[in-house]
Amino acid sequence: MKLSSFMNSVYPEGNPSSRIKKSRKDMIFSLEDLADRIGERPDRARVEELVGGEASQIELLLSSQPDKRCAMIWGYVSSLAAERSPLPLRLPARDYVGLELAGGSIILEKGRDHVGERMSGGRIKIEGAAGDYLGQEMKGGGIVAAGCRDYAFRQMKGGWGVVKGDAGKFLGLGNSGGRIAVQGSCRERAGWMMRAGRLFVRGDAGEYLGLLMSGGEIMVRGEAGRRAGWRSKGGRIAASSFGPEAADGALELG
Amino acid sequence: MGGKDLSIADQKVNAQLYFCLANACLRGHAVLLYGGMGANKTTLVNLLGSSFLGLELERVEDLMVTGHPEQTEEKIVGFLDPRQWTGQEAGPTQVLWTSWALSNWKLINEINRFPSGKQNLFLEILQKRRIIYAGQVCQPGDTCYFATMNPEFSATYPLDQALLDRISACVPAYQPDFLAGLLLSEREKEVRDLAAMLPRFTEEEFSSLPGLVAEIPLSSQVELAVLCLIRDFTLCERAPSYDKTQLSGSKPSLGLCSGCHYHNNPEAICWQADEGLSDRVRQDLRIFCRAFAFLLGREADLEVLRAIAPYVIWHRITPLASRLEKPPYFGAGKLAYVAELVNKSIDRTMNERREMNLIYSRAMDGEISASQAIEELMLFDDPIARLDYVPSLESRP
Repeated sequence: MKLSSFMNSVYPEGNPSSRIKKSRKDMIFSLEDLADRIGERPDRARVEELVGGEASQIELLLSSQPDKRCAMIWGYVSSLAAERSPLPLRLPARDYVGLELAGGSIILEKGRDHVGERMSGGRIKIEGAAGDYLGQEMKGGGIVAAGCRDYAFRQMKGGWGVVKGDAGKFLGLGNSGGRIAVQGSCRERAGWMMRAGRLFVRGDAGEYLGLLMSGGEIMVRGEAGRRAGWRSKGGRIAASSFGPEAADGALELG
Repeated sequence: MGGKDLSIADQKVNAQLYFCLANACLRGHAVLLYGGMGANKTTLVNLLGSSFLGLELERVEDLMVTGHPEQTEEKIVGFLDPRQWTGQEAGPTQVLWTSWALSNWKLINEINRFPSGKQNLFLEILQKRRIIYAGQVCQPGDTCYFATMNPEFSATYPLDQALLDRISACVPAYQPDFLAGLLLSEREKEVRDLAAMLPRFTEEEFSSLPGLVAEIPLSSQVELAVLCLIRDFTLCERAPSYDKTQLSGSKPSLGLCSGCHYHNNPEAICWQADEGLSDRVRQDLRIFCRAFAFLLGREADLEVLRAIAPYVIWHRITPLASRLEKPPYFGAGKLAYVAELVNKSIDRTMNERREMNLIYSRAMDGEISASQAIEELMLFDDPIARLDYVPSLESRP
């Protein structure tokens, strides 16, 4: 018997149950595979288009360990997974978790860099400390972290962020909206070039608080370092005490 | 026995009973009943032996061997007749064969109570028609093999992979369900009395069963699904000759698949089990498909294959713990997990693999060129296309 006759007997012509590779043709087998299809500049729309809504596909990609090239793509996939999950999604600590998140909730044991970047909705809770660039360019939603390193909430436009411990340098750099509350202290140049929004620090703030700020409100319950409000053009800064060379408009609460 | 736990299309039967019945219709195959104490594993096999051999239950019970560390080859198979050393006449060595060795209904009771070294004895005996001891040959003829075992207890030993591979099917033996328990409570007669009431096969009827089973045709869909099922488990991109059965130190559970193209792909089966499947599995799947079709009076089709394949495969492989431990398996549903893999493979073969199989067959029959077929097959992200079909076409002159 010829092999083709055998195969034809297995797959008779016009068998309606047969589905050819088309349905699976575009299945993505790994993050690298997805990265190859997307090219050098991943964006959320392209990732969403290629990944689709199939849960097994998202689960497969989410379980992969991304390399540097795939880190942002993994971040987009994490957001897609959280938005589709009826329950808060617990994810491993990786860069770009919740990238452009629009809804849903994510819980992280600890945070790496760029967590919640450009998010517009949803919630991210980080049980440990976050890395750099927490909530950078966020437009909505909320983030709660036990602590964070530098550049947290940089160029924030909306939403809110709560840091239960200490924050690093350059907190709220270039903000034009949103609300930030730090339960501990923050290091130098918090609120640098701030244009709008609010920044509250329960502990102390480092030097150059509100450097070059032009709008918004900064309140520090503890002591602000030297040169608070240095060359500021607007906005309000209040602290219980200021270090030397504070701007004239800075309000000392006493 | 438990309830009707085996569904073949719309028919539901008890797996423990039907696998034993199927094995009684075959020769040279072994069925292992696996379950806790008192699940009637041994009793069932002995009752069936009584019926199929036409013997009293007590006589069938005498035929079995039971595992324990003091069992020896001499006690199980036979021993040298000591009288020959004192006799005057010279001649070939005389062996006194045990009734178990001479029987063509062999039950190895509590097989995992044999220490690992002694389990090797059965490697030769299972599936063979002859037993050799002290240079002498015992020929009981075509034999039905059964074995029972408990889960791991303090006095049991793990079964060797090679021995497990010689066992055609492993069937969980469940405790009697509610209704069966009620019936057992109302039972007035002893088991031996009930055994006497069972219908008896004549020797001719019993020996005609394998021939009747062999007459059942297998559909071409079953033939192809069996081949692809074996390859799905066995192919490995990183193993020598893509053959996972060649692996010894490294295996999927030890990180072999990390970074592999197929790793974590839920459609691929290769990375989800440590072991590949031997050709014995192909033979077992085909013959048990036929036997079940014969017993149930139906065609040996894909529904039969879907039902029996998990029982033929699950004892031979070790699924990846990270997959097995997830719901709904919780680390305990190995048979159900293997059933899912089996269904996945069969569905893929019958649907997504259609085009690639047709391309390959046309190339093999010379209807299209090998280079054109290779080019088209490389578009299919399937281990069989890439690791079986393409190398096979590349090696063609």
